[in-house]
Amino acid sequence: MIRLPLVLFFSAVLFSTGVYGVLARRNAVLVLMSIELMLNAVNVNLVAFSQFWHDITGQVFALFVIAVAAAEVGIGLAIVILIYRNRETINVDEVNLLKW
Amino acid sequence: MLAQFLIHPPIQLGPIGPELVLTGTAIVVLLGAAFNPRIGHSTLLLVSLLGLAGAALVSIGLWDWGGELTVLAGMVATDRFAVVARLILLGIAAMGLVYGYHYFRRSGEARAEFYPLVLFATAGMTLIAAAADLILVFLALEILSLSLYVLTGISARLSSVEGSMKYFLLGAFSSAFFLYGVAMAYGATGSTRLSAIAHALAGQTGSLGLALAAVAFLGIGFGFKVAAVPFHMWTPDVYQGAPTPVTAFMAAGTKVAAFAALIRVLETSFQPLTLDWTPLVWTIAAVTVVAGSLIAIAQTDIKRMLAYSSIAHAGFVLIALTAAGQDGISAALFYLLAYALMVLGAFGVVMLVSARGEGRTSLASYAGLYRRSRLLAGLLTLFLLSLAGIPPTAGFIAKVNVFRAAVAAGHWPLVLVGVLASVVAAFFYIRVMVLMYMQEPQDDAEPDRSPWPRVAVAVPAVLTLLFGVFPGIVLGVLDKAAILRW
Amino acid sequence: MLSEYLPIAVLATLAVLFGVASLGVSALLRPNRPTRAKLAPYECGIEPARLPAGERFPVKFYVVAMLFIIFDIETIFLFPWAVGFRQLGLFGLAEMAVFIALVFVAYVYVWKSGGLDWREPAPRRAAAAPPTALEPEAREVVRAG
Repeated sequence: MIRLPLVLFFSAVLFSTGVYGVLARRNAVLVLMSIELMLNAVNVNLVAFSQFWHDITGQVFALFVIAVAAAEVGIGLAIVILIYRNRETINVDEVNLLKW
Repeated sequence: MLAQFLIHPPIQLGPIGPELVLTGTAIVVLLGAAFNPRIGHSTLLLVSLLGLAGAALVSIGLWDWGGELTVLAGMVATDRFAVVARLILLGIAAMGLVYGYHYFRRSGEARAEFYPLVLFATAGMTLIAAAADLILVFLALEILSLSLYVLTGISARLSSVEGSMKYFLLGAFSSAFFLYGVAMAYGATGSTRLSAIAHALAGQTGSLGLALAAVAFLGIGFGFKVAAVPFHMWTPDVYQGAPTPVTAFMAAGTKVAAFAALIRVLETSFQPLTLDWTPLVWTIAAVTVVAGSLIAIAQTDIKRMLAYSSIAHAGFVLIALTAAGQDGISAALFYLLAYALMVLGAFGVVMLVSARGEGRTSLASYAGLYRRSRLLAGLLTLFLLSLAGIPPTAGFIAKVNVFRAAVAAGHWPLVLVGVLASVVAAFFYIRVMVLMYMQEPQDDAEPDRSPWPRVAVAVPAVLTLLFGVFPGIVLGVLDKAAILRW
Repeated sequence: MLSEYLPIAVLATLAVLFGVASLGVSALLRPNRPTRAKLAPYECGIEPARLPAGERFPVKFYVVAMLFIIFDIETIFLFPWAVGFRQLGLFGLAEMAVFIALVFVAYVYVWKSGGLDWREPAPRRAAAAPPTALEPEAREVVRAG
């Protein structure tokens, strides 16, 4: 039996790793992967809480998150390919036509 | 554990009728265009508009819903708040479709996917306004966001694709925060239903620490979607990069939908924590109105300027939210309605001035617009006056209502900040007017002279004036809608 | 009441200060040398190979892979249904039929708009293909950049 705080801590670390990846990585595909990491941290949380409350909603929600994440990746990669075809780069720092 | 899941809920499809009509129409349009690529876009537009009208009729039918407060296992709320939010959103979508039809035909980038994507995004927006469960809030948020990422990049222009990528990366980032908040709320209370969360928190059976973390994370997620400072960075880039009709649609639609969901989540599930989240909303509102108004002054592109102005307006709606309860919700609804009208109108004029594509969106191209087209200059003046909150426009009444609600709740320092920010904001709106009336045109580019889009832009203009002079015609309805039932 | 939040406020301030300070200092001190290794998509050492040397990968592979992932993941909703198939009965069957019909709509759209064609696009489909053509304006930007 794994105790709940342990799982929550693991999930928080996973989420923070994802946040760091999004903020520090310059390659759009890597940013996408970091976002996936964050979503999966949420899934770990949901399943852990589902077990804690003896309630199945969390597990069902985790399935929805997985499906939505796949759709998100599909659209994200399509946009990245579009950028690459136009600019020959997917470095998010070099994609800077719009400036503030 | 499995057994409780297997007892299926009674299925009542009535309260999601508008969404069913919208998705049905979207599928018909999508497949119709796929099977017959030569189909005229006017047909697609007509079918889409009929779908919107059908959804609006179904929504109106829900006004006197006498059944349960939530249906489909507590997923969908059936209150009047949802009805009014839906009607506003359907109107926004209709304007977006008409703009888009004209814009893409002129710019030669007409794509049949535009219509179903707008309809899918609208279905997400209307669904989020009625969502009574955090799972559904998340799903609806994704439906509208994913459609909008694609719509932003629908043009082959480089800035459009770039705006799409920035929107996508930051949008997905914020969805992850939102989701983490949902997981925290679930962990705190053992349910994702808004009413069950409220009961658990009120009865103190949940974990307070996790619930507060949930409020913070959900706040970040919603902050991104409504473009509140400090989560606003994507807004100017995306608004500038996206094709102007898409900008108009998403500037108005996303804000109304996300605020509707934010109001519902804060005022129902986290109502027991009102004393905890009010200072948070207070601070974000103050920072948002000030930053939005100040940065807008430095802009040289009208789409960017309107983007920062929309950030400032998000702050004003947040001011209304600090006044919890019916007064605050009613003021926020009226503000959102007025904001949607003026933003649709302003971006409509921007689309017509730019003539074809996105060539002329710099402020300099508005010099001497009065000489080129009195009608467009007049319309833009009206929308800018309304954005600035000067009578006799809807924007003025909206600001007065918001300030009155906030003062009644005892937040007069925040109102003071809001009034000062409005004065600063008036500066850059009036600067555009000075350009239009007092200066000579710098080039001989003509604005778009097509008659029908002008009629379309005149619709929000008439409504802005009407609601500014006779606000009573909608205020009564909004007051009735401002009671969340759960 | 708000004083309960003081420790959190102090912690948040410290965290923000630390973050801003370390980012600011490193931005001032670091040299900017984006070497190839730093920009590589995978850090495990395996380089994404371009096969054969220098030739561009047909973009069709990406399209098919993405479509596969999306349709593949949609099937996860079949698993809980399959587990409770008997108990769910006719209701479950009807719900699943609706779900599959909706997925099928997406499939028909992809099929009809040519997403599954492996050969070169026929001229008829030119309008339905993803926007790949560069506008003159965009072309100039690529050259200048």
